[in-house]
Amino acid sequence: MSQTFLLEPDIIAAAENVMPDLNNDLVKAKNFLKQQSAATGDSLYDHLVDVVHKILSQKPSDVVDNFEQYSWEVKQEKFRPNFDLLHDIYLSPLQLSAVQRLNGMFRLVASKLNKMENLGEEEQELDLEEDSVKPKIADLIDHNYYFREGGYGLPQSECYAVYIALNMLAIKEPVATVRFFGKIFGTKANYYIAETDLTIDELDRRIREFELKDVPGEGDSLEEARVLEAEEQKELMGEGEEREEKSKEPVPPKLPPLPVSMWQPPPLIPVERPGQGVNKKVYWVCHLPGEPWICLPDVTPEQIRVARQIVRVMTGDLDAEVLSFPPFNGTERNFLRAQIARIASATSISPQGFYTYGSGEEEEDIDMEEGGGDMDFNPNPFYQGHTIKDLLDPNLTYWVHHGRHILKQGRTLWWNPNAETEEDVEEEEDEGPPPIEPEIGPPLFSPLSEDVRVEGLPAWSPRISTNLVPDRALAVLRSNIWPGAVAYATNGKKSECLYVGWGIKFRPPNFSPLQLPRPQEEYVVGPEVMEMADPTFADEEAYRIAHLPPVPPPLLGEGDGEDFGEEEEEEDD
Amino acid sequence: MNVHKLWEYKEYVNVNGMMMTSELISLLQNSLTLLQAENHFTHVLYWGQVYAVDVDYHIAVGITNDAMADRKYFYTTDFKFWSLLPKSKQKYKLLSLLTTYPFRGDPSLKIKVLDESLEENHPERCQFMTEENRLAATINNICDEAEICTRGQLIKQPNGTVVINPSYSGLTSAEAKQLKSYLHIRPAQQRWNTNLLTRQDYNYSMDFLDSIDQDIPAGCWNLSLEQSGSVTYLKSLYWPGMMFFHKVTSPDAGFLYVGDGRKNLDVPFLL
Repeated sequence: MSQTFLLEPDIIAAAENVMPDLNNDLVKAKNFLKQQSAATGDSLYDHLVDVVHKILSQKPSDVVDNFEQYSWEVKQEKFRPNFDLLHDIYLSPLQLSAVQRLNGMFRLVASKLNKMENLGEEEQELDLEEDSVKPKIADLIDHNYYFREGGYGLPQSECYAVYIALNMLAIKEPVATVRFFGKIFGTKANYYIAETDLTIDELDRRIREFELKDVPGEGDSLEEARVLEAEEQKELMGEGEEREEKSKEPVPPKLPPLPVSMWQPPPLIPVERPGQGVNKKVYWVCHLPGEPWICLPDVTPEQIRVARQIVRVMTGDLDAEVLSFPPFNGTERNFLRAQIARIASATSISPQGFYTYGSGEEEEDIDMEEGGGDMDFNPNPFYQGHTIKDLLDPNLTYWVHHGRHILKQGRTLWWNPNAETEEDVEEEEDEGPPPIEPEIGPPLFSPLSEDVRVEGLPAWSPRISTNLVPDRALAVLRSNIWPGAVAYATNGKKSECLYVGWGIKFRPPNFSPLQLPRPQEEYVVGPEVMEMADPTFADEEAYRIAHLPPVPPPLLGEGDGEDFGEEEEEEDD
Repeated sequence: MNVHKLWEYKEYVNVNGMMMTSELISLLQNSLTLLQAENHFTHVLYWGQVYAVDVDYHIAVGITNDAMADRKYFYTTDFKFWSLLPKSKQKYKLLSLLTTYPFRGDPSLKIKVLDESLEENHPERCQFMTEENRLAATINNICDEAEICTRGQLIKQPNGTVVINPSYSGLTSAEAKQLKSYLHIRPAQQRWNTNLLTRQDYNYSMDFLDSIDQDIPAGCWNLSLEQSGSVTYLKSLYWPGMMFFHKVTSPDAGFLYVGDGRKNLDVPFLL
């Protein structure tokens, strides 16, 4: 073994006199392998030792097929220092921030629960009141179970956290009912959306605020401004004419008056007050369960109108600008609310009879003239459920909408734009704008069979959750118009809708942006600005002859004078 | 998604509210394992679901030796018979992009095509496209544009075959935040040195595929980190319903398509 450690000159010296020897060759080969690379300072010998060591210690299968990979990994490991200069610094796990967020939420809910229990023990009278105020939270965990049976829903990890977040919302904010609406994806963050009814006190407060803000408001002031402008224009024009008459000095040629914009903004459609129509429900969003819920503002008809004409994905930032044509009045907060209003209106469905007008406990006379109008509806206590076979019927006559149809106006209740002006018109003039045909949407609880088909594709596709076990089956409906919207119903008394998607409507073949409006005409089209053929010489001649001054009849006195003058001239010559 | 790992992966599925039901997973595992045995596949992936009016199509992929060249696509509507999807011709790939109406759920359905590029009575003139051909072409289109894997998941061996890396350990959390770490599963369309030299730590056996950060427009892939950064999701805006997930620093990754097989042409307006 001592030969192994021979120095090179010794080996050479030894090799000169010695016959070929296995041991000698080995030493030579080993020395060759131990040569250090000039670039890295590594030697192949060390590398092979490392690779073999790694393979033997880890014992992976099929090493020979992936030998290059192992060799590469060993080299890569060298660049990782095996000592840590910063070993005092502890890197917390990734999950820490999420845990802290959730922890706060859990504590809040737990402390509230404790307080409720204590109250219940001490003062039972108060407890009764508490019960009546206690918000109703839709059982997301239960519904999610059925959705998952049907092939949709939230992952388990999210579902529970969202449910607790809904509880937190109910504790922190003045809400009477809470329901999970769904989830809308954004490019940077996602939105979880809760749908709530406000408590009566809060609703009253908001209505008062709303009425103070603008009810008699903007429409009038705008009209006044318009009238004023028109008057000013008239005055300006009048002044111009007067000046022309007064000044008799040569003036530059008369210019036509500056064109006046003839465009009038369409009448502003009033916003539906809180608790009515599209603003019946109040929506809250958060990015992750555990973060504070943010209330979305009420939606205006204008925003719904524009939202129908554009396609956007959410960015995940509520204050992000919505860059679009036609311009959207508001930030992503408003856009999100408008999309939610549209989705809720189109995809809230339930089996026939699941909801009923009024409280449902007494038979009430229902005024159907308004098409259900703004009637309240509640779960029907007498609902018995339909058979799965009925619910899966491809005609979908057993399913009805319980979302109110949003009219073209952007409201659910039609607003007559002439209602205010009609009285004045009758007094002053006979001719008023013709009465406008009121827009009528399908009434509440109209069956899905009346939904519009898109290119032969029905609006909803019914599917059964299981083919193997018909006893456990439930019916799942998938929306084709709003991809991501689903609803389920069991043959018992359960039904719910959910939306998880991008918030984009399906519109084949593809979206085409609104065209720019035609340019306005600058002048009133009249003879001054109309193009016409120049008169020919013949025309001018005919005009001149027709307009010749009448030949004056010759007078006697004047005749004498003329003669006299002629004579004088002659004399001068 | 690897069929034999569906039970583990089902919690990661996150595409338009879709969750895999237990029944679906059981049926898939049973029928696809049989399919794997019959065809001697080394891997079988559940590719996804294509919505149709009457019954939905389910698609699976079988891989024999080469993970890129030897991919065979199968479809079924009832999980009893998996039929091989035909190789799609170029003309069908173009036609399927133009077809807007929905799939019916009947593979033998003939769709009338008006082919104006060739004269009437020309033998090559395309007159019908069966729904099977349309499905094959649609899936081929999606594969070309939206089938992705993480960097290092597929490696090219010195003899040229591409295999699924058996010793793959996943992306680090820093790598997972970059679009550059995700590659298209398709023959590279960029020049080979573009793919190699645009990164510092290039590796011949990994960087033979196009990375998705070069897709146009920027933002057509939506990368999101969820569950406090431990799972990354990639969603395609061009093919709504295409989802890729990767659990950071673990070999778990997979994609799933659940949608109506229609390309979203509005992407430039969406962003």
